[in-house]
Amino acid sequence: MSELARILLVEDDPRDVELTLTALGEYNLANEVVVTRDGEKALDYLYSRGEFSARSHDNPAVMLLDLKLPKIDGLEVLQQIRSDERLKLIPVVVLTSSHEERDMIRSYQLGVNAYVVKPVDFHEFVNAIKELGVFWAVINEPPPGSVKKAP
Amino acid sequence: MTIHRAEGPIGVRVRGTLARWNLESQRMRSPILRYGLSVVSVAIGLGLAFALQYYRFHDVELPVLTMSIAVTTWYAGIGPSVLAIVLAVACFNYFFTEPFYSFAVSASDLPYFFVFITWALIVAWFSAAGHRIENGLRQARDRLQVELEQRKHREDEIRQLNRELARQAADLEASNKELESFAYSVSHDLRAPLRHVVGYAELLQRQASSSLDDKSRRFMQTILESAKRMGNLIDDLLGFSRIGRAETKKAAVNLEQLVREVVAELRQETNGRDIDWKIGALPMCYGDRSMLKIVLVNLVSNAVKFTRLQSRAEIQIGCNGGKESQVEVFVRDNGAGFDMQYVNKLFGVFQRLHCPEEFEGTGIGLATAQRIIHRHGGQMRAEGAVDRGATFYFSLPKAQDAAERIANTL
Repeated sequence: MSELARILLVEDDPRDVELTLTALGEYNLANEVVVTRDGEKALDYLYSRGEFSARSHDNPAVMLLDLKLPKIDGLEVLQQIRSDERLKLIPVVVLTSSHEERDMIRSYQLGVNAYVVKPVDFHEFVNAIKELGVFWAVINEPPPGSVKKAP
Repeated sequence: MTIHRAEGPIGVRVRGTLARWNLESQRMRSPILRYGLSVVSVAIGLGLAFALQYYRFHDVELPVLTMSIAVTTWYAGIGPSVLAIVLAVACFNYFFTEPFYSFAVSASDLPYFFVFITWALIVAWFSAAGHRIENGLRQARDRLQVELEQRKHREDEIRQLNRELARQAADLEASNKELESFAYSVSHDLRAPLRHVVGYAELLQRQASSSLDDKSRRFMQTILESAKRMGNLIDDLLGFSRIGRAETKKAAVNLEQLVREVVAELRQETNGRDIDWKIGALPMCYGDRSMLKIVLVNLVSNAVKFTRLQSRAEIQIGCNGGKESQVEVFVRDNGAGFDMQYVNKLFGVFQRLHCPEEFEGTGIGLATAQRIIHRHGGQMRAEGAVDRGATFYFSLPKAQDAAERIANTL
């Protein structure tokens, strides 16, 4: 599974992971997802180190990034990615609980591709996740070096 | 002279010097001492003159006695100096002019005495003048020192106040930071569990809907609605706190244009309803456009909401003259209105005068609007009567007044 992942979901809350995977499952995208539960693991995945050392060096087609994460938070992960020559082209979508303006401004300053506040309403949440998944993993043509859609 | 709260080594030194001067001037004020000094100094002068004569120094008795007069005048003042002159002349006559040891004066010696007395008077006069000048200087120095002391004291006070002010500013900044991080964690951490409640309830409903009876389905629905409502409350509260923390970016704002923009946006949500809009001429005002838009959206959407039960709604937006430097804008409707005895509750956070079944809402719109108007230095008030409509007024600084004020301060 990890070989073919087109979506990297970085999310610490297991319920949010489940709800997100449920939403993606409605479009059969759940199998394309690798979940990392904190910022450190996300960077391990991207750099193919630690428990991910066996994985190929392809980048995910999109990264869904929560901001409030244990150890290394979302903004730090984003900063790290954008300052790395090999990783900086990865499309990153921030998925956060909060409307905080400063988080939004900081994310855009760091070059995020989209900023989505998770809606409280479940239907809206499912729709948002579904559309994000479909757009970034299916419709959008990812930058070179990304995992390609399975033929 | 009194010195309050003289502190530190400088204060102690000043106090010591002043005490010594006080003592000195007091000693010189005692008449016995002053005249005594006169006698003693002439006696010492006489003794010195005898000693000099013994060692065959002649004609030195006159300067020595004059010195005694000078010393007396310097330390004891005018009265004792006159006594010293008299005593010196008498001694000179008795001991040093012929015939010796007699007060008899020969006519040929008279000019000599005259010169001596004149000389003594001149010396006395100079000494007295010198003494006066020195006294004056001393007093000036006293005053200066006291003034220095007072200035130092005032500077201490100013420094103390500055320290206090800096401490308060730091406290304020700390509590602001605390408030901000509080709002931040509320925004992040309170919404997540709420989203989970809604999400899983929704999933459960989907999963088990067919096996649930009507009552259970209603419970399910209530869980969902309550969680959504709580989500709205949290969002509104965060919006309200953001208004208090956000910086205002003030500029000239065309109120009429802003009102028309707001009405056009709200009109899309009122299609099908018969609303009579009356928008009067509105002046330019000075403020933060996006914040003022929140005020207008709140007031106008309230007017739309509370006229829902009217067959024909009338919403009027216009401007009173207001005060000289301010404009007063009003939003009037013919809707449900309110009882004037509860007018003070209108602007409270989460205060509502209607049941949610009648009119929906969280009760934060007017609190937010009032907060924005207060941040602009304006006032907000309301008038109304039950079932006869409500009018909300807010005042704002006029654009040209604000521009002039800014020009004046530059």
